[in-house]
Formats: sequence, C-alpha cells, structure tokens
Amino acid sequence: MNWKTMIHRVFASLAGAGLLIGMAAAAQQTAPSQTNPLTAVLPLTTKVPEAKRLVEEALILYLDRVEQEQSIGILRKAVQVDPDFAMGHEFLAQISLDSAEQVGEQEKAFAARSHATSSEQLVIEWYQDAAEHKLIPAITKMNDVLNQYPHDKWVVWMATWWLQNQAQYERSLAVYERSGITDSPGLINNMGYNYASVRQFDKAFAMMDKYVAAMPNDSNPQDSYAEILRLAGRFNQSIEHYRTSLVINPEFYSSQFGLADTYSLMGDQVRARREYEIGFQKFTLPELQQILWKTREAATYVREGDYEGAQHAFQAIADYSHSRQNSQAEADTYRQMAMCEQNPKQAMVYLSNAEAATQDGKNALQIAISQELAQILRARVELALKMGNKDLANSTLARLEKMSESSDDKLIESAYYGAAGAALFAQHKYDQAISHLEEDTSNPLSLKLLAAAYQKIGYSAGAKRTTETVTNLNDPTLEQALVVPAFRKCSEGASCAGNAKSAALKR
Amino acid sequence: MKYWRLVLTPLFLVACLPCALQAKQFAIVADKANATSNLTASELIKIFTAHTRTWGDGKHITVVLRDPSSGDMQLVLRKVLNMTAEQAHAFVLAHREAIMLADSDDAVLRFVSTSPGAIGVVDLYSLTQDVNVVKIDGKLPVEQGYLLRGN
Repeated sequence: MNWKTMIHRVFASLAGAGLLIGMAAAAQQTAPSQTNPLTAVLPLTTKVPEAKRLVEEALILYLDRVEQEQSIGILRKAVQVDPDFAMGHEFLAQISLDSAEQVGEQEKAFAARSHATSSEQLVIEWYQDAAEHKLIPAITKMNDVLNQYPHDKWVVWMATWWLQNQAQYERSLAVYERSGITDSPGLINNMGYNYASVRQFDKAFAMMDKYVAAMPNDSNPQDSYAEILRLAGRFNQSIEHYRTSLVINPEFYSSQFGLADTYSLMGDQVRARREYEIGFQKFTLPELQQILWKTREAATYVREGDYEGAQHAFQAIADYSHSRQNSQAEADTYRQMAMCEQNPKQAMVYLSNAEAATQDGKNALQIAISQELAQILRARVELALKMGNKDLANSTLARLEKMSESSDDKLIESAYYGAAGAALFAQHKYDQAISHLEEDTSNPLSLKLLAAAYQKIGYSAGAKRTTETVTNLNDPTLEQALVVPAFRKCSEGASCAGNAKSAALKR
Repeated sequence: MKYWRLVLTPLFLVACLPCALQAKQFAIVADKANATSNLTASELIKIFTAHTRTWGDGKHITVVLRDPSSGDMQLVLRKVLNMTAEQAHAFVLAHREAIMLADSDDAVLRFVSTSPGAIGVVDLYSLTQDVNVVKIDGKLPVEQGYLLRGN
C-alpha cells in the first residue's frame, strides 16, 4: 500500500464515523412519532454543508423561479461536492432533462440511501419502486411520505408532479389543496395544467392569473397561460398571451412554436407553417425539439387534407432523423406516415420501415424503443383491421399482448388496450371493446371508438361524455388532426359514416 | 410551458392528452390482520351486497364505502353492486349493521386499518401501508383484466 492510499483510507474512515453520527441525529430529528405534520420538513442529509446549500438553492430556482436548466446545473455541482448525498441525486434524477442522467442519478440515489434518514429513504424507495414499475408499493410510500410532511413544499412538489405524470390529476390537485401552499410559482404552474386536464378551466385560469402576477417579467407564465387557453379552445386569447411572452423575451422559442400550433388548431395552416418557419430560422433548437415541431408542421398538411404534402414533410423528418442516427424519431415518423397514408399497402411499407428503425435502436433507451414498437404494432393492428386482414390483425395483436404482459409499462399497456379494443369493436363485441378502450383514453382514436361503443350498448351518458371529450380536444398532435376535425363535423350533423354522430346528438 | 421532463420519453409517441375521461382504478382493502388476500368477483359481490356477513375465521364483516352518489363510486356501483346511486343509498340504509359510508378515502383507510373484519374500497392512488390490498380473481389493481378498472 503506498502512502497516498493509506491517507485516503484514514480519511474515508473518519468521514464514515462522522456520517454515522450525523445520520443518527437526523434520524432522531425526523422520526415520524416526533414530528408535527403541520410544520415537519423533509430533512436533506449530507455531510457537506455546501452541498445542502446548493440543493436548497437549486430547488428554489426550480420551484420558485421556474429556472429548470440553472437548477439542474447547481444540482450537478451539489452531488459532485458530496457524491453520497442521496436526496441530491434524487432531485437531479427527477429534474434532469437527460433520460440517461435520470436513470443514472436514480441508481446513485438508491445506492446512497443508507447515508440518509428513514424519511429520505422512503422518498428514494418510492421513486425506485416507480422506476421498477412496482406501482402499489410506490403509491403507499408516496402517501406515507405525504402523511409525514403534508405541508413541506418539496414533498408536495414531488407528489403532485409524480401524480401528474401518472395522469392522476385529481389526486395531484387534492394534495396541493391540502398543503395550503399558495406562494410557489412552480406549483401554481403545475396546478394550472392539472385543473386544465380535468377541464376545470375557471380554476386553471385563476392559477395562471396568480402565476402571471407572481412573475410579471417572465415569459413562461404567459406561455403557460396561452397553452391552457388553447386547451380550452380560446384560441385568440391564446395567441395574445403567446405574443406577450415573446415581447417579454423574444428568445422564448416555445412561445413562437406555440403560436404556430395554435394557428394550426384554429384551421389556418398557411399561417401556422409561416410561424413554424420563423421559429426554425430564428432559433437553434435542441434536436428532439426540432423534430417535434417539424412533426407538428407536417401535421398541418393533414389538417388541410393534403396527404401528399404531409408525406413529403414527414419523409424529410425521417431522413433527417436517420442521418442523425436517432432511431426512435425515425421509427415514429414512419409510423405517423403510415397513419396518414391513404394507400394501405404503402402504409404497411411505412410500418415495416418503422419497425426496422426500432431494430437499429441507435441513440435511444431500450424502454423508449419498446414503447415505440408497441405504437407501431398498434398501428399495424388498426391498419390490418381496415384492410380486413384478420390473420395479420390477430397475430400482431398477440405479439403486442405478449409485450404488454411482460413489460408492465403504461404506454405499452395502453397501446395494447387500444389495439385490442379496436379489434373487439370490429367484431361487434362492444362490452369487451369498452373495457379495453377505457384503458386508453388519452388517445383520440380509442376515444372515438369508445363513444361509438357506448352508443351501441345504449349507454347514452357515457357516449355523450366521451363525445364531448373528443370534440373538445385541442392538442396539436397527428392523432388529433386525424380524428377530431372529422369527428366535430360529424357531431355537428354533417354526413358521416361513424356512430358518434347519433351519440353526440342524443343529449 | 410545462416543466420539460414530461415530454422526454413519449416525445414522439401519442401525446398524453389532458382528458377528463382518465380510467379509474380502485383497490379493495382489509385490515392488516385479515388473512384473506384474494376474493373471487362473486365472493366480493356477495360481501358488498351483504349476503356474506362473516369471514372464514368467523369475524363479522363491515363494508365501508364512499358516498354512492360521488362520481368516484360510479364504477363500483356498476361493476359490484349493480345498482344506481339512489338504490345504493337505500340499500345502505337498510343494512346499517353491515355497511358504512365514509366521506373520503382517508376516512375509509382509517376505519379499515383500525377495525378488524372491515373491508373497503378506495382509489388506488390513496393506498397507504396501513392496510392490505385484496386481490380480485387473483389480480391486483395494476393488472390487466382487474375488475375495478375503467371509467
């Protein structure tokens, strides 16, 4: 052993002893029986005070000033200062914009949890269970943390954010309302989206008014307000807020593309494309966002019925994604091309291209590739049903079911339920179709079938509610473009072949 | 703009559209001392409709439900009780010794966790470690084909 190694070991053992004492003190301080939930604060255990200060600074930046990127940078410094700072790693895992970093930091948080108090361990195990798709233990741990610290801002943020990501908007709102926290711009922003998601727009707008008042010189409140107005179908007001956002900060590119998305949903595709182009020329975007908004731009052609124009635009995105070796984006683009292709044989070719890209799997996490493959298989089932090819529909559905059973991933599961629901609907097995389609209510294609299936079994209230949901969808995705405009026309009484018209009219 | 983490993995997949029709998942819960870990759907229906009044060990069963007229309970009414909200109210009144109403999931959980023999139904996302989750037909609420999923 050389002298450097020996000194290192001595220091390591001293640090270890210090840590044990610190942990014992912290554990004593946070034992649930000794804390008052009204004032209890989740401890942040680290042996380095500077690391704790950095994490606190990062969290304030993130939640009170909505400065996500700066916050991430400071969290990275904090975990460099103390690599054993378990909650530092956990916060970074939750806030990071890099999926590989999210995974890596979660692993580090879990590995370092023995350096933290029992409360912090509960938080880390909650996220670990969630990452491993152990949903019930994750939920019980989240609620146990919440019961100990119902008014702690960071705990409330973690719980509401996680619930929001689980599409549990009502529960997320209940946690927020119970917390009594009213002065956090980041939480106010999130709750605005939650209220909008359950279509309580009055409350969503009230949240946005507070958010704007709290940060009058920032673009993000105006941008959020605009997006929520758009979700509510109030397009002109949405555009005003996007414009205000760009006046405050001309570099806030999200608002430029928000403008374009809104014009597209309003039906002005020429203006929408002009706004997208302004954005592409003015801003240097991260690659994924460049592809995202190029995809939205391609969907403008679908909205005006120019499928050739759409295919041309999508092909350019697929080629770009291929050149960048971004397999997931390439696969997803081919899948979307298949969805709006009028010739079924050509659509099958696009789906084969999409599946080939997933097999390349370049620069993508395995889970993202699996999720994409599930979407491709779902599209293939729907296309096979349209072509009347039962064998292909059944064999593809069986493959998707197998994936779904073995993955325990929500997106893969939804893809299976949507595809199985469509297959059962085609067989006129409406009750069974409903129980499957109800598991995929984020997808307009499933919602459209669900409205019709409810009508078929005589469940008018369900048909009416679902019809209203579909007609009120204002999200600038391809699925929305393919389903909603036609569905609205149908609901308004124009001639159409679907069953939703009668569902909509029977009010 | 939302915080960006939301859009990373599913960036190119179907967007998670805001949708008031989100599927509900309910969990059947019993006190920690209850050895029953699984019920068939028909056993569950018999318990909730007060046809079965005792557990295998002879303990009295008390069912605790949320207000049947609350929106959350529609799925339970449809799939377990096969009653309208009005019928369910009348049914509960007629079976006060076996069925109780609670005004929140927290109240259901508090009652079940402290009352030997109690069984209740709560939103999956309200679960705490104070109760046991009872499977239905061998399935947990997160599994495909579970009875109390839907909207």
